[in-house]
This record gives sequence, structure tokens and C-alpha cells, in this order.
Amino acid sequence: MIEFKNVNKWFGKLHVLNNIDLKIPKGEVLVICGPSGSGKSTLIRCINRLEKIQKGEIIVNKTPVHDKHTNLTKLRAQIGFVFQQFHLYPHMTVLQNVMLAPVNVKKIDKSDAEKIALKKLEKVGLTEKSHAYPAQLSGGQQQRVAIARGLAMSPEIMLFDEPTSALDPEMIGEVLDVMVNLVSEGMTMCVVTHEMGFAKKVADRVLFMDDGKIVEMGTPDAFFDNPKTDRAAEFISKILTH
Amino acid sequence: MMGFYFSRLVEIYPFFLKGLWMTSKIAFISLVSCTLIGFLLGIFRSSNSIVLKRIVGVYVAFVRGTPFVVQIFIIFFILPEWGLQLDAFPAALLAMAIMGSAFICEIVAGGIHSIHKGQWEAATASGLNLVQQLRLVIVPQAMKVILPPLVGQYVLLIKDTSVVSVIGVMELTRVGWVTVVRIPEGLMVFSLVGVLYFSISYPLILLSNYLERKMAV
Repeated sequence: MIEFKNVNKWFGKLHVLNNIDLKIPKGEVLVICGPSGSGKSTLIRCINRLEKIQKGEIIVNKTPVHDKHTNLTKLRAQIGFVFQQFHLYPHMTVLQNVMLAPVNVKKIDKSDAEKIALKKLEKVGLTEKSHAYPAQLSGGQQQRVAIARGLAMSPEIMLFDEPTSALDPEMIGEVLDVMVNLVSEGMTMCVVTHEMGFAKKVADRVLFMDDGKIVEMGTPDAFFDNPKTDRAAEFISKILTH
Repeated sequence: MMGFYFSRLVEIYPFFLKGLWMTSKIAFISLVSCTLIGFLLGIFRSSNSIVLKRIVGVYVAFVRGTPFVVQIFIIFFILPEWGLQLDAFPAALLAMAIMGSAFICEIVAGGIHSIHKGQWEAATASGLNLVQQLRLVIVPQAMKVILPPLVGQYVLLIKDTSVVSVIGVMELTRVGWVTVVRIPEGLMVFSLVGVLYFSISYPLILLSNYLERKMAV
């Protein structure tokens, strides 16, 4: 469903993605971890072309993402994206946030879009907040709205860029619960996270990155219990002792 | 003495009303055109296109770096030599549009820059095109930052319409000049001119203050 072929990207002199080859089949849950600056956020931001690549190819659902002629609107409609800092639209209510793309991108009738939005909000357990503004919600609630907003376009793929890193500890659980639910529905997901509990529970594979390279990739059990590289072992010992 | 002043006032006030009407007309048309052009330029100025950014940057720098009177003279006296002959009224409107849009451009660009990059990214990721991103997500939020200085700029623009009197447009200031030549009560004449300008700009000053308080959250 998602394929990286020899992908390279530089920020100035910094080689952020170094010869990435990766295949993510439909329905897979891939957890991406690694030290900060290792390129993991950049990796998933390339999938919906929030970042451009300089070399190589990324193919999503047979669509070459970095082709000039690619219809980006169509591509992005298939991919939901959840940011670390939520980035809800502060001037709109929760419902308007979720409805915005269906109404304006898919041109769905407002009343139908509202029904869809309410369904997605129900899924994240926030129907009763639909008329609140983002600033009136807790961080965990905001992130759940952001997930509902991503789901509103009925995407086939959901990308999560450190979805719980900006949250107070007691709010992490509610967001992870919503994500676990998505997994059970068969959503294809790429999740940049250090939540090892989440990874062990639902990930099909864990990908470990360092210095723009894929250092190691395997099942969660194999990765956490028997890392093949010293770099991965060091990283795991660091995040587990904290 | 007061009776004398009063009879003078009765004698001259029709001219002043005409001047006030002309000033209002120039001000209104200018505010609308400056706002439209200013927003467009401001959006260009904050775009990712280096070429657009530079072109608008040069325009803004040139307009802000030269006196308004000189700009009016260029439009009214120099453009005809290049084949563009304008009457005083359209020349005045053109000069106002060029000058005002440059200032409003900077206000708008500043407002757009104040919006967090994540808002653009969220809108992009959800599939909105550039125009939709601006219209639905960025500009509505930027208005909070833009509105107070924008209304302040309107006050300045209204006062700047007095400068177009130099090319003979019969607006309030010009009426003052012409009147003073005929009657000697200069203090009264220009006090009246001042009061009339004030009557247009003061409501906007109040609005600007109000917006400043309301948006400062």
C-alpha cells in the first residue's frame, strides 16, 4: 500500500533520509521509533508530501507521490494525518473542524458531512463536545478531535506523528485507546511514537531509525527483547529505564 | 463679531459640504481599493514564491520610501509624458490605491506570518488547496492580528486624501485654500476643515481602539 524506493532527502547538508526502502502492506500497523533528529517524522511527512524528497520514489496505492502530475488533493484525501501539537483550527468549533475537509475537499453536502463528523466524533468519544472550541478542551480531547478530523475523509491510511508526546501523562491513555480501536478496524497505520506499550500491543512491525537510516525492523517482540544492533539496544534501554 | 462669523459660515458652508462629499468619495473608494489590492499583495508577500515576494517587496519599499506628494506628481505630471493622461480625480484615486495598498500589504503579510506553520500543515494534509487554506483557515485567524492596525491605517488614509488637493481635486482641503483666498478668516476656515476631517476619522479611531482592546487576548 505504501512503498519507499531508495528515498533520499536532505535539509541543506543534513542527510535526513538516507536510502530508505520500505514496504507497508494494507492493514499493517508500523511503529517508528528512534532518537530525535533521526528522520522518523520526516519519513511519514513524505507519505502525504508535507515534505518533498530529492531522490527516489514513494508510491501510495499505486500513485507516485512525488510525481508533478499527481493529484495531491486525491492523494491526501486517502491519508489522515495527526500532529504532535494537534493543530486544530482554533476559530472553529469541534464539529466545524471535523467537517471542513469533507465539505470543501469532497464537496459533500453540509448536512451529510455533519452526520459523518458526528459519527467520527462518537468514535473518539467526544460527541458531547461538538459545539465546543478547541481551547475549551483538554490536550487529550483535542488530540482525539484531531484524530476524528483525520478520519472524516474516510482515509485508508492514518499517519501519526508523535501523537502523545505533547500530552500530560494522564491523557495519553485516552488517545492510545482511540488508536487501538482503529487498529482493530483494520486501518493501515504508521505511528511515530515512543509508547512501547502501544507498540508491543498492536504493532505488526517496529522500525528503528537513526541518522536518517533504517537501522532495524522487526516484530515488536523481536525488537524489544532481542535487538540485533547495539544502537537499538542502547535506545531501548534508555527509553525503558525512564 | 459672532454674528459676522456666523453669516460668513452660512455663506461658505455649501462649498464645504461639496468638499466634504468629495473627500468622502475619495476616501471610500480608496479604502475599498486599497483593502482589496493590499490583501492580494499581502498574500503574495507571505507566499512561498521568491519571485512574487521580491516583486511585492520592491513595490512596498518604493512606495514607503517616497513622499506621497511626489507619487501624486509622478502620476499626474509624469505619466502623461509616457502617454497616460489622467484627470485629477482618477489620478488621485490611483495614487491613493498605490500608496494605501502598500501599507495594507505589510499589515496583512504580518498577520499571515503570525499564524503557526502547523495550521498550514493541518489544512494541507486534509487536502484543502491553497486558496481554501487561506480563505478558510489562515486569513480568518490572521484577521485578529490584522484588524486593529488596518482600521488605524484607514484613519491615516482618510487624512492623506488631503494631499491630493495639490493637483486641484476639489476636496475639503482644496476648498479651504480656495476659500481663504477670498475671505480673510483663515483660522475659522481651517478650523472648519479640521472639524470636518475629524468627523469622519473619529468614529474609526474609536473603532480601532475598541478592536485593539477586543483582539488583545
